Order: sequence, then structure tokens, then C-alpha cells
Amino acid sequence: MLEKTKNIAKQILEDKKADGIFGLMRNQWNVVQPHVFEDPAELDALVLEPKWLLAKLAMGILRSSPENYKLAVICRGCDERALIELIKRNQIEKENLLTIGIACSQEQAAICLCDRPYPAKLDAGEKVSGVDPFQDERVREFLIGNDKKRMGKWANVLKRCIKCYGCRNSCPICICDPCKLEDEVWVQKGVIPAEMITFHLIRAFHLSDTCVACGACQEACPVNIPLLYLQLSMRQTLREKYGYEAGLDPEIKSPVLSGAFEKPDTDREYPAWINSLREKDES
Amino acid sequence: MNQPKILIFACKWCGLIGADAAGKKRISLPALFRVIPVECAALVETDAIIRALAGGVDGIAVLGCHIGGCRYNNANHTAIKRMELLKDLLDTTGIGSNRLLFSFGTAHEDYQFEEIVKNFFDELVLLPPIDPWL
Amino acid sequence: MANITVFLCRCFGEIDSAIDFDLLREELSKDTSVSSLSIVDSVCLETDIKKAASQLKESKADRVLIAACSTLLRGNLPVDGLIKEGVERHKIGLVDIREGCAWIHGDDPEGAAKKAKDLINMGLAALRYREASEDMCVTVNPDALVIGTGPAGLAAATSLAKTGFKVNILERANAPGGMLRLISRCYPDNEDASDKLEPYIREVENNPLITFYPQSKIASIEGDTGNFTVQFSSQGKDNSIQSGIIIIATGAKIFFPTGLYRYGEIKNVITQMEFERQILNGSLKTKKTVFIQCVGARDRERPYCSTICCPISLKNAARIVENVPGGRAFILHRGIMTPGNTLEKYYRDTLSKGVQFIRFEEEQPPQIIGSDHVESVEVYDAVTGITRKIETDLVVLSTPLVPNNDNTRLAQMLGIEVDRYGFFSEIYPMHPLETKTDGIFICGSARWPVASDQAILQGKAAAMKAVSYLRQSTIAASTLSRVPGLKSGHACVDADACTGCGNCVAACPFKACHLEKLEGRYISTVNMMKCKACGSCVSVCPNGTIQIPEHNYRMVGEMIKRAF
Repeated sequence: MLEKTKNIAKQILEDKKADGIFGLMRNQWNVVQPHVFEDPAELDALVLEPKWLLAKLAMGILRSSPENYKLAVICRGCDERALIELIKRNQIEKENLLTIGIACSQEQAAICLCDRPYPAKLDAGEKVSGVDPFQDERVREFLIGNDKKRMGKWANVLKRCIKCYGCRNSCPICICDPCKLEDEVWVQKGVIPAEMITFHLIRAFHLSDTCVACGACQEACPVNIPLLYLQLSMRQTLREKYGYEAGLDPEIKSPVLSGAFEKPDTDREYPAWINSLREKDES
Repeated sequence: MNQPKILIFACKWCGLIGADAAGKKRISLPALFRVIPVECAALVETDAIIRALAGGVDGIAVLGCHIGGCRYNNANHTAIKRMELLKDLLDTTGIGSNRLLFSFGTAHEDYQFEEIVKNFFDELVLLPPIDPWL
Repeated sequence: MANITVFLCRCFGEIDSAIDFDLLREELSKDTSVSSLSIVDSVCLETDIKKAASQLKESKADRVLIAACSTLLRGNLPVDGLIKEGVERHKIGLVDIREGCAWIHGDDPEGAAKKAKDLINMGLAALRYREASEDMCVTVNPDALVIGTGPAGLAAATSLAKTGFKVNILERANAPGGMLRLISRCYPDNEDASDKLEPYIREVENNPLITFYPQSKIASIEGDTGNFTVQFSSQGKDNSIQSGIIIIATGAKIFFPTGLYRYGEIKNVITQMEFERQILNGSLKTKKTVFIQCVGARDRERPYCSTICCPISLKNAARIVENVPGGRAFILHRGIMTPGNTLEKYYRDTLSKGVQFIRFEEEQPPQIIGSDHVESVEVYDAVTGITRKIETDLVVLSTPLVPNNDNTRLAQMLGIEVDRYGFFSEIYPMHPLETKTDGIFICGSARWPVASDQAILQGKAAAMKAVSYLRQSTIAASTLSRVPGLKSGHACVDADACTGCGNCVAACPFKACHLEKLEGRYISTVNMMKCKACGSCVSVCPNGTIQIPEHNYRMVGEMIKRAF
């Protein structure tokens, strides 16, 4: 897979389809770092491991480059989805971006609890079927069970938060400046570990329809809070109710944004708690 | 929990007029709820709901107009879709989706406001308080 | 730090009998932002207002909070009075402690007093953080545009011209009249169709204020309320006009029931329109006619009733019986729809003339029998249970009116919506003939199938609604709320903080937001003429960039903090 990727990248640079290739390089001190390869000779140092989310960095590179600079990004499944979401949100112009898609191995999919460990445009590597996160033991601990126990479990993990903002900084979708999480109205400054519910729930809800389940937030957290699990049930609701998944198509916007009725409009079913008068014994 | 506190966001048209109608009929209601009038149920931000839950409020109710009856071209439909996702998140963390109530109504269903408030109070009494991790 | 004057209304004892005002007075005296507190008997009496306003200006207090009843929240006498005296709307805060507190917690004085204190604190916080939104004023173009010249369009155009406004009319065909040109007589009084149109057409030709553009095709429509620009071509020449309002009277078209009741396959099975055409050119030959109702209507595909087909059949059946010697007419129906006084009498008169009515069920439609032309119709009479065979030489099918093919394209150009069948849809609630965009009106069969008398009525009504816009020389965006005086501001974007994500553009129900590219990034801009301050954009914005200043998130956060 590595050789094939190097050849594709060399070809792109020689055909002048892009001005630079964005990937990982093993540098002269044997350390892996992200690098923009503009010279085909440098591509010998290209590596594909470890998993490194390049979407947000790519956005930064394109922002600070001249207007017609074309960048080709070597991306895994989650990276490609993040890039598509950024295109949807007008942060990256579609014409300036190319992707070289690589697939993840089954071991990597098991570590990330990913159910789609391959990009839609796959150039190198073999597709593997992912894992269903709801079957995993660690996830079931936090998502299944009675309310009081679950609340206690989440309270125990969220208590550890030190408000380092690592989750927000590493998330490829979090691009707002200024950010609501730094606003006194919502999150009080200088109070640790109080008011965690506001910080985490606001962040989790803002990502409800754009989270691509890349796991960057979890990996960035210094105290190992399982932040990905907060998003899983919302992603499942969107998939089941509207058939929508974030990051698959740059033209389809989130269904939560429009008030229009999906056709046909009379057959929409609403859950039982939405009605004017509720029966007392309905629980 | 025997004294649950409820915060009600009532849309200026159906929700608030319904609440007023209950007042005009001098129906007796428990005193632990506060009403904030908003222009449309679509204006209620989920962040405000989360802030209220963190600030000690036990239950939030959002009153809007019926589907097809919003004078802002079905803006209440967007609101309800968003609330469904928020309910998922509240369920995941164990806070419980029964703390959030979304109701459609019309201005002359004044008995509805009384039913909603009283039923909501009865439900919230049965729930355990939010874990003091705040 | 705002200085706030607080008025507590006793409402002649209604409020302070349930809430302890001494407690409130004590609490409010501790609040440093309250500069003065007055307890009045009744805020809504005139004398108290003038005194209040002068007190306000005297003490240089910035804002005023009135704690009284809920009728104030609808914008009422005290608020209007203060505004007239020069106080700005966003500086007046209103709290409801009567319907919201005193009258529902009469049996819990402690709870009621605490609730009143909290509500007033919330009101004070709201008043401190509230801001005013901008407004926009545009000059209104005093010309009107009417699209379509059926009876509805003609009535609208002539009414506007007689009131004194210049009217431009666009018509797809060569001459005015719409579908009424193709029929011979109108129900219920059997008036000649061309006689009915004649006074309107004469007005169109003679009135110098009306300009008629035949054979026109619309290319684009742009602009907002008060200033629409329409590019079109008429008789091959391109043209463009400006107008302050647009009235849509484009009508509907007939549904051709190909495949139903062997229409198109066998001779002498025709539609009502072809029946009228045969009368107009004298080629109608029949002695026994069978009319079949609800062909292609009130079924799965088109579950609506087209309102006009039953009276049309009554009219035509009566003509056969009266004018053809020995003529007979049968009406096969699934329920005759003739609501109202006049039409009910029309139905009974038709019955008394000898027209026969036979009811059939949807699952057992009548069968057309014949090889190359109709010989008889077999129908299962649902009332008697007998299958009858009727000999006939002409079968007339009553088909519904369906929307024009280009309704969707026209709606997109105008920025209005179509309903699930394709007819133009009105804005909800209680605003007949108005649409999502202020200044665009719909009337006649473009809105819903109607006959000519109703269409004329709707055209005149639309014209009168249009006059209320045209007669103003300027329109302020804040008055476009459809309920006078209650529009609460516009959404406002903080250009530095906007990330250009486009959420607000997608969420706005009135398409008032759009993205503009400035210095390499996208920034959202709000069109104040379209914005109705509903707040859909506010709740989907990820970092609180777009806000409604009268209800911004800082204000809500502070209110929540003080709620209990």
C-alpha cells in the first residue's frame, strides 16, 4: 500500500495536478511529522502510520497559501469525511483539494470503533468491514443500563476533565473563532472541575450532525475521557430517521437545518411525547 | 426530589396566549415554574436549555404552535428536529430525556397549559436529581 | 450600568392582594440598578402614563420596567403611550405578574411572592442586556404588476387602475380573458361569458393607466417588497418593468383524463371544456347525455374536490333538457357538491327540470359500452342496488382543475411556495391571498379552483390589499410583520465572528440570509425586508454570531441565572 501511494503521489506532482502532497514524513531524526511534499524526490520518506488527522492542518495550509494553490491530501476514511464536512461549511474550496484515499486495517478499525474504515474514493489498500461500535463492551458500559447508573458513570469520567480544550482544538470540525466555550455566559472561567455538564454537552451538541467519528477528541484527551461515545446515539438517530450521515456528500446538508417537510409531508410520525396532552400513566 | 423547578419557554403566539388563558381563568397551579416568552419555539437555543439544566433547573418545557400552524413558515418543525437530537444526548449521559418537554398547542387550548404543568411536575418528582458533579 | 425606573401596578388590588408588595419593595431597594420604584394603582390609565414619561425624562433614567398584566405584552396602551412620548421600544421592559403569578398562585402567597421577585429580577436582567436592532427604509415603487388576465386578474387590474395606480398586465395568450374565453355561459345565472368579461376588457383597453403586454414570457423576477424588477419578453421583444407589488392570477389548467372511461379511445367521450367548445361553434349534437363526475378527482392521486365541476354539470345538463327537444340528461356522481344558498337552489331547480341523478361508488365506476362510438353506460346504482344500463350518444367527463406546469418555476422566481398539489400556497395564519413574501398576492384558480364569480371577488380583494402597500411612499422593514406594531427586530450578524458555515442560510424559513465573499472568507448577510425575527438562524449558529439583538443570548443567560 505504501509503494502504491508513493507512485500515485509522484504521478500527481509530475502531472502538475497539484502543487503539493500533504502526508506524513519520517524525518532525519526518525520522527514522524506532517509535511507538504512539493518535490517528488522527497516522497521516499513518506509513511502512512500512525493515524494522524490531517484535515484541520490542510485547511490551515490552504488558507495561508495563494488562491490557486492545489493540495492533495493522503487521507483515511475519517479524514476524507472531515474534509467533506469542511467543504460543506465553506472552509475549503472544492477545486483546491484532491484526495489520495488509503484504507485502514482491521486492527485500526477495532481500536477506533469505526464502522467505515475506508474513504469513498479509495486509491490504495484493501477495504475491510468495520466494527459496530454498539457491540463493543466499553461502549455498552456507558450507553446501556439504567439512568442513575449511567449518570454516575459519566459523572465519574467527566470529573477528571481539566478543561485543557484539547478536544475542541483537535476536532477537525471545530473551527469557530470566537468559540462559545470560552464565553462567560456559558462556561465560567477559572472554575475547575465545576460546570462540566455545560462544557461537554454544549460541545457534544454542536457536533451532533457534523461529527465524523474520527476519534481525535478521545486521542487528544490527557485524562482518557471517552468523548466519542457521547456522539454515537445522535449519529444513529440521524441515520435511522433521515438516512443522513455526516461527511459522505458535500451537496447534502444536514436535515436538522431545514424546516421544510420531507416529502410526503403527511406521513411524518412523531414520537409519543410530542403531543398537546399527555396521559398521566404514559411513561 | 419534592420541589422540582421548571423553566418554560413559551412561543409568543400559541404558547404564551395559552399560558395567559390559564391565568385568566384563575386556575390554581404550583408556583415553581417561570415563563420566558420567545418569538418562536425555533428561537430557543439548545445551549440555553443545557445551561438551565446545569444551573439547577430540573425540567425545561418548550411550547410551540402546531405543525402546519407556525406563522414563520414551519420554523417549529426545525425546532422539533433539533430537540429530538438533544433528547438523545440527554439520554446518553443519563440525565434523562424526560426532563425536556416539547409540546404543540393552540392559543385557545387553555386547559392544555394546566395539564402540561401539572403532569410535568408529577413526572419530575419521580426522577432522581442531577448528579452533583456540577 | 443602566438606570431603571420600575413601575409596579397594583391593578386596583388584583395583584397586591395575592403578592406581598412590601417584600418586593424591600428586594428592589437592594438592587443598585433600580433608580426609582413607583407603585401605581393602574398603569393603563392615561394620567399615569404622562406622569410616568415625564418622570422618566426628569430622572434621566435609561430604561423602564413595567410589572403588570399580560395584556401589556401584546403592545397596548401604556407601551404605545410611552413610545409616543419618545421612549424607544427596546428600552421598555414588560413583566407579567397578574395572569402569570397573582391569579394562578392565589393559594400560595409565599411561592407567589418569590415568583414575582424572580420574574422582576429576570425582567431587570433582560432590560440591562437588551439592544436595538437596525431598521431599513425603502421607497415604494407606486406601480403594480398583474400576471394573468382571467376574471381574477382583470378584476384586480381594473380595481387598481380605478383607484388611481398605474398597472402593467402580463398575459401569456394574445388576448385577455383566460379560460372564460373558451366557455359559453357561467353558472348560476347563465350569464354569457363574454358579456361578463366585456366591461373589464373595455376598461383595460380604454384606461390609460393600464398597459397590456400580450404573448409575454417571464425571464426573471428580482427584488423585494416595494421594488420588484421583472424581465420578460412580449411579442418577441425583451422588456423589463419595475413594480411595487405583484398579483399572481395565472389560473389553472384542465386535467385530460387519458385512459379513464375510455377517453381518447372511443368517440363521443369528451370533457366539459370540449362540450363548451362544441356549443360555441354550433357542432353539438346530442339527445341523451350522460355526465360523469369526479373523473380524476377525489381519488388517491388527487384527493381534493375541484369545487366547480358539479355546478358546471348542473348548468350543462339543464341546457340539454331545456334546449334539445326530447333531450334527456343523467348525472352520475359520488356526491353532489353545491354548498351555499344559491347553489343549493340551483341543484333543486335542476332536479325539478327532470335531470336524473345516479350515485355510484369509487370502487365500482360506470362502464362505457360501445365499439367505435359510445352506445350505452352501465352503472351500479349505490342507493338502490340495481345495475342500470343507460343508452346514450354523448358522455361528458367532469375533470378537475390542476395547477399549471410552470407554477413551480414561477414560485421559485418569486420566492413563494407551492403546496403539495402545485397550487400557490398562502402564508399561515389568517392572511388570505398573501404569501411568504410581502407584496406578492395570489388570487383566482392559481390559488385554488374557483368559478368566475369567486375569482372576481378574490381579484378585487387582492387589489385592495395591494393598495395598502402602494399608497405608502416609503416602507420600513420593521413594519412588515403582518400584525401591526409587534415585529421584534431583525437578525444581526457580527461580521468578525462569522465563519461562513452557511447554517443560517439553510435554516431561514424566509430565505433572508445569504453568504457574501469578502477578503477571502464568506460572511453571512441578512436581508432585513425578508427577515421576520423568528430566530431559526440563531439556534443553528455554532458560535452565536447571528443574534436578534432584542433577545440575544447574553440576555437569556442572565435571565436563566436569576430564574430561581
